[in-house]
Amino acid sequence: MTHCPGCGARLDAGAAFVQEFWAGDDRNFLCWCPGCGLLCTVVVSARLVSHEPEH
Amino acid sequence: MLSQEKNERLTAVGPGTPMGNLLRRYWWPVATHDMAGRVPVRRRLLGEDLVLFRDGSGQLGLLAEQCPHRRASLALGCTERTGLRCGYHGWLFGADGRCLEQPGELADSTFASRIRAVSYPVAELGGLIFAYLGPAPAPLLPRYDLFVWPDVWRDIAHAELPCNFVQIMENSVDPYHVEWLHGRYGSFLRELAGEPAVQVVTKKHVKVAFEVFEHGILKRRVLEGQTEQDEDWKIGHPLVFPSMLRVGGGGIATFQIRIPVDDTHTWHVWYQTYRFDVPAPPQAAIPVYRVPLHDEQGEWLRDYVDGQDICAWVTQGAIADRSREHLGRSDLGVIMLRKLYFEQMELVEAGRDPICTYRDPDRNDCIELPMERDKFGGARAFREMWLRESSIRYSPIRDQVLGQFGDVA
Repeated sequence: MTHCPGCGARLDAGAAFVQEFWAGDDRNFLCWCPGCGLLCTVVVSARLVSHEPEH
Repeated sequence: MLSQEKNERLTAVGPGTPMGNLLRRYWWPVATHDMAGRVPVRRRLLGEDLVLFRDGSGQLGLLAEQCPHRRASLALGCTERTGLRCGYHGWLFGADGRCLEQPGELADSTFASRIRAVSYPVAELGGLIFAYLGPAPAPLLPRYDLFVWPDVWRDIAHAELPCNFVQIMENSVDPYHVEWLHGRYGSFLRELAGEPAVQVVTKKHVKVAFEVFEHGILKRRVLEGQTEQDEDWKIGHPLVFPSMLRVGGGGIATFQIRIPVDDTHTWHVWYQTYRFDVPAPPQAAIPVYRVPLHDEQGEWLRDYVDGQDICAWVTQGAIADRSREHLGRSDLGVIMLRKLYFEQMELVEAGRDPICTYRDPDRNDCIELPMERDKFGGARAFREMWLRESSIRYSPIRDQVLGQFGDVA
């Protein structure tokens, strides 16, 4: 993770916090952007299960 | 995994570093009460070499170690009625750093008025001597409950550990290590020695939770056989930001204080209080003792809880290489703590006070912290285990404490 998913500011320098951790098969990045204050977890999923909405 | 750059930001404590600037907003124990006497002592805190002294008037002083004159160590100095005199050429400095005498200079010289030793405020509380190395105005020295409670016994244990303070703090938001490091590994060592397995600390964790609150991070757990009505969950106990753990139960309450000496050394203080059901006679003085780190073979002592913790911390390396770690869901407390450090560093850089800085005397009479009494589901069982398996086993008053509690040795 090099950029904030919220505002696009760089996360790889300065005060921003990016921490990788694993949950099962999923690679997670907890991100905190000091610029916009966004705290979020970005998940690089091994598999995405979804469904097609009715149409 | 944390990038190397972020790891350095997290762990470097010297002057001018982001973490160093954050930590300088707090008062730090720099010595125990018995260390400051007529003989000046060298201390090192946040990467700075210092000299602590108590002059003939009883005034405590803390100066940068090197004399402003020719840079000799002021630890080789003489405490005078007022101030500390450099042993090399006799320059005399007050506790505020002012140069009071320059014996070799002309009597009418104004040179002394232009010389100032680096000095820092110091204050005594609860048997510890605290120093503030940050910008003025200094916040209040926090009067946390264990330092100011009346009617308790106290003792103070300490040891210098060869590792960075952050990896020690991370252990305080890592509840799962208890059942493995102290439960399984501790029992494994007992098996090898032909002794019965350890008790109390072997219970499996069913659920853990962490909550950032006004004092730092509150840690809760549900152990096997417990419910959310047990105090381990309902009350929990805190990591007190930036560098203390409050832990105990059954009348024992301890601050584990992790004081950054420099990037690769931590002065660890175990500050114990004992509150008995029946009032005990007051102590004449608070006993101070050192915690040994090695056995006769030079191996890390690890046949008790605190020794196992120390062993884990120092074997992570002088500064744990977080760019090579692999964190999982069970490490969310560790992640929360790191994020809190980053957030508070940013606050300081923005010119604001970080959490746990106190400037209102009305909020600083006695800062009460939450902590379960029936720890691990049983106050007495925990206390008896803790008096055997923690650093208290080296306390010079352990037998008296056992007697006051009515426990079995």
